[in-house]
Amino acid sequence: MEKKSIWKKITGSREASLVIVLVLLCILVTIKNPAFLTVQNFMEILKNNAVIMIMALGMLCVLLTGGIDISITSTLALAGMTVGMLYKYNVIESTLLGFVIAIAIGTLCGLIIGLIIAKGKVIPIIATMGFMYIYRGLAYLVAQDQWAGADALGRFKDFALESYLGFGVLNNVIVITILCYIVFFILMKWTKFGRNIYAVGSNEEAAQISGINVSNVKIAVYTIMGALAGLCGALATSIYASAQPNMQTSKEMDVIAACVIGGVSMKGGRGSVICALLGALVLSVIGKALPLVGIDAIAQNTIKGVIIIVVIVLNVLTQRMMDKANLAKREI
Amino acid sequence: MKKKLLGLLLTAAMAATLLAGCGGGDTPASGSSTGAKTYALVTKSAGNPFNEKEAEGFKQAVEAMGGTPVIQHPEAATADAQITVIQSLISQKVDSICIAANDENALQAALEEAKAAGIKICSVDSTVNTASRQVHVNQAGVNEIGQCLVDAVYDLTGGEGQWAIVSATSQAANQNAWIESMKEIIASDSKYANLELVEVAYGDDEPQKSTDVTQALLTNYPDLKVICAPTTVGIAAAAKVLQDQGSSVKLTGLGLPSEMAEYIGDDDAHSCPYMFLWNPIDLGRLGAYTSIALVNGDATGAAGEKFTAGDMGEYEIVTAGDGGTEIILGAPFKFDPSNIEEWKSVY
Amino acid sequence: MAGKSGRTLAAVPERSLKKMLVSWEGMLFLLFIAVNIFCKCISPVYTFTNVLREMPKYLTEIFLLFPMAYILLMGEIDISVGSIVCLSATMSCIVSNAGMPFPIVLLAGLMTGTVCGMVNGLLTVKFRELPTMIITLGTQIIFRGIAEIVLGSGGTISLTNMDGFRKIAGKIGPFPYLFFLVILCAVIFTVIADKKVFGRRLYAIGSNERTAFYSGIKVNRMLFTSYTVLGLLAGLSAIFLTSATYGANTTTGKGFEMDAIAMAVFGGISTAGGKGKLLGGVISAFVIICLRVGLGQINMNPQVILIILGALLILAVLLPNITQHINQKRKKASKA
Repeated sequence: MEKKSIWKKITGSREASLVIVLVLLCILVTIKNPAFLTVQNFMEILKNNAVIMIMALGMLCVLLTGGIDISITSTLALAGMTVGMLYKYNVIESTLLGFVIAIAIGTLCGLIIGLIIAKGKVIPIIATMGFMYIYRGLAYLVAQDQWAGADALGRFKDFALESYLGFGVLNNVIVITILCYIVFFILMKWTKFGRNIYAVGSNEEAAQISGINVSNVKIAVYTIMGALAGLCGALATSIYASAQPNMQTSKEMDVIAACVIGGVSMKGGRGSVICALLGALVLSVIGKALPLVGIDAIAQNTIKGVIIIVVIVLNVLTQRMMDKANLAKREI
Repeated sequence: MKKKLLGLLLTAAMAATLLAGCGGGDTPASGSSTGAKTYALVTKSAGNPFNEKEAEGFKQAVEAMGGTPVIQHPEAATADAQITVIQSLISQKVDSICIAANDENALQAALEEAKAAGIKICSVDSTVNTASRQVHVNQAGVNEIGQCLVDAVYDLTGGEGQWAIVSATSQAANQNAWIESMKEIIASDSKYANLELVEVAYGDDEPQKSTDVTQALLTNYPDLKVICAPTTVGIAAAAKVLQDQGSSVKLTGLGLPSEMAEYIGDDDAHSCPYMFLWNPIDLGRLGAYTSIALVNGDATGAAGEKFTAGDMGEYEIVTAGDGGTEIILGAPFKFDPSNIEEWKSVY
Repeated sequence: MAGKSGRTLAAVPERSLKKMLVSWEGMLFLLFIAVNIFCKCISPVYTFTNVLREMPKYLTEIFLLFPMAYILLMGEIDISVGSIVCLSATMSCIVSNAGMPFPIVLLAGLMTGTVCGMVNGLLTVKFRELPTMIITLGTQIIFRGIAEIVLGSGGTISLTNMDGFRKIAGKIGPFPYLFFLVILCAVIFTVIADKKVFGRRLYAIGSNERTAFYSGIKVNRMLFTSYTVLGLLAGLSAIFLTSATYGANTTTGKGFEMDAIAMAVFGGISTAGGKGKLLGGVISAFVIICLRVGLGQINMNPQVILIILGALLILAVLLPNITQHINQKRKKASKA
């Protein structure tokens, strides 16, 4: 009996099934190429995908309210490009200031989107589609056909190399990612604000009636999303030592895919920080593994697409099985 | 009933305004009726300093010759976006179009239409097919670039060992031409027999993907000696990976000095001892002078013709590898620690 | 009146909403005139022939607008059409280069599109729990990925025999054939949406899928049909695009999905389903085209054009909401 319940627990929880997928994936890749299973490799995965992983948190909040945000990489580019240009023309020197400015720009971008959606009652996908063009265009205008390269960024790019935040063990970027996850884990699980987000997503009208200010919650989630996108703009600029106006173009789809793979519902109300983390990890591991297992570069996109479809379909099938099992239990 | 009527009325009125509002006929463009000629440059995409420098050179040269430059960056680095731009330029009745193509063949229909409208066509940097152009302004011969890069690899490996290529997308025409040329050069001379090309990786000109593939190369081939990246985004990403890891693998390729200044150096702390590129400003200027020569009738694009490219001196039109004709700017320029400081502020 | 037409089931009792919807097309039409006058003023070469000559590339996108509007009306979305266009164009080029007669080439392009559409449709109806956004995101990557594999290294294919494609790129007077085909499609799709049972069901599903299902509408069949038709028209779009590029490459059709959705939304078709008319979509498509052509002719920075379009898109949805809000307030005030 005891055994069965553990087995049920494993198959019964979506998170657990994703962990299995993730472990299987890692084992398969390691069999093909033992070099995959090294600490350094995993650090690289975390660092190179920090941007996707952090933005997945914001996207989680947005999706939980039943919304969507496809403007995030444009916000990222605008923030990153602005900061890059500030360093290039020696307006600012301090690394911290760069991050503050980037986050401020992101927050403002997100706030505007939030207001348009919550107060102007514009459907999220349309509002963010409009701002996707607007912010990206602004990034190009800020750039004035220039890039901010390694030479221009000075000390700022060293942030992504050093590990003073991680006491010399963990890279700064990874520390920031982990911090974000801890903050959001607490925020979503144990605060009133987190519960409000779930409430709005599960049933907007009920939330409104029970005294939650729905439009404030919506404004807040898009502002948070914007702030994270701004942070990621600074991070991406530092990690790749380069700010370009077209940076991370169409990566917003990767972020959304990460959440959905993790089991976050796009209809709102369902999903957790763990979901976002696992989804982002699956996607990151795929991205890292494909060149390592020697798959032809030309076929990599197709395989990535197939894996995404397979994982989300598996998600649905396990959910159906779970529902069926629950139903059967009730009948007994 | 009412709705049907409304719909009909709207459609009819739409067609009417299209007719009336647009004037109903061709009026000559104001630009071409006056003396000054207009010369257009269509770059590959916006937001790229290489293209911007090319445009800067083009503008300088055209203005110096008393013409009006029109610079158009398409909204995305695709052939579709360039077709839209070409169509708009035909409407504007420019005198010449100088284009850096995103796809060799896809622009043919649009450029044929331009040609039929009396517009002179030349390509610069990245060629269009022979049917669409009069002449191509080539930064350097394909084989010259191939030879340069192979010699650099030979030099950096010490004559033997494993090396790899980090390219842009697997579809980039000029990348593929250079890679092919490198392979041929290596196969043709026994001097290079000990060089082993282990992989051609594609970073899609994205910093993140280029970083990923460079790291994968280092993981997969522990004995790797040299990486050659003939693309500006790829070389910068690879340089950063190698330098950050303190890897002993050396790098060479084609890169922008302003992007690469941080990584160029002879000691172990720098990943790239030297690299190559041509001067995009000069390339733009030569594109402009070629356009002007075509419009003035100083050249028609036939092999053997010679014309004076302003203060750049005399250039000769030669037969290109694809059967068309081309003008070659010169040999690729080598950037090393001795001159990088001087060039990083230029482009 | 409103009840009979069955256009906006959710809005049957709201006369003011209906009025607003009617006037939205009217406003768009005024905007169309205004844009034309504006472009005429800023660009000396904004002439009838020039606009028509520059139009075909944009017209190929309008094909996608109609079935996309159907899908949006049902509250779903398809972001894979750009990739379907790419794959269809690739396939028709390959078949053409294999020396097949032109009708077979056409068929290959259309069939490829249709099959892709069916794949989307099938995934959608079999896994109804999944949002179509994510399904079509997956297929978007896969379809273009297949095209990348087929095109191989080099990533581009050019036609060796362009006769057939040259023919369909022909013109009657200043009007390209394409123009008439687009108008024909516009009429067919608008009539179906406004007058036929199929159209009424679209709106019903968009307003409330569950109610529609229980009232006997075969929701799955409607979805499957719409996705398949979208695939078919993506194939058609691909063929005309090929006739303008004499080939295909891996970036063919990139961004078409966003353009098609933007046209529909700007025309007042709600992505939340159940609201808006196709006529609005058609007019808005021409507004956008004319604006792009005009601004392009004065060599405006393309990024600025995109900013303008983005702002227009948001305003198009925001303005009616604000007027509605004000109207409601006024009503409340008058009641008090």
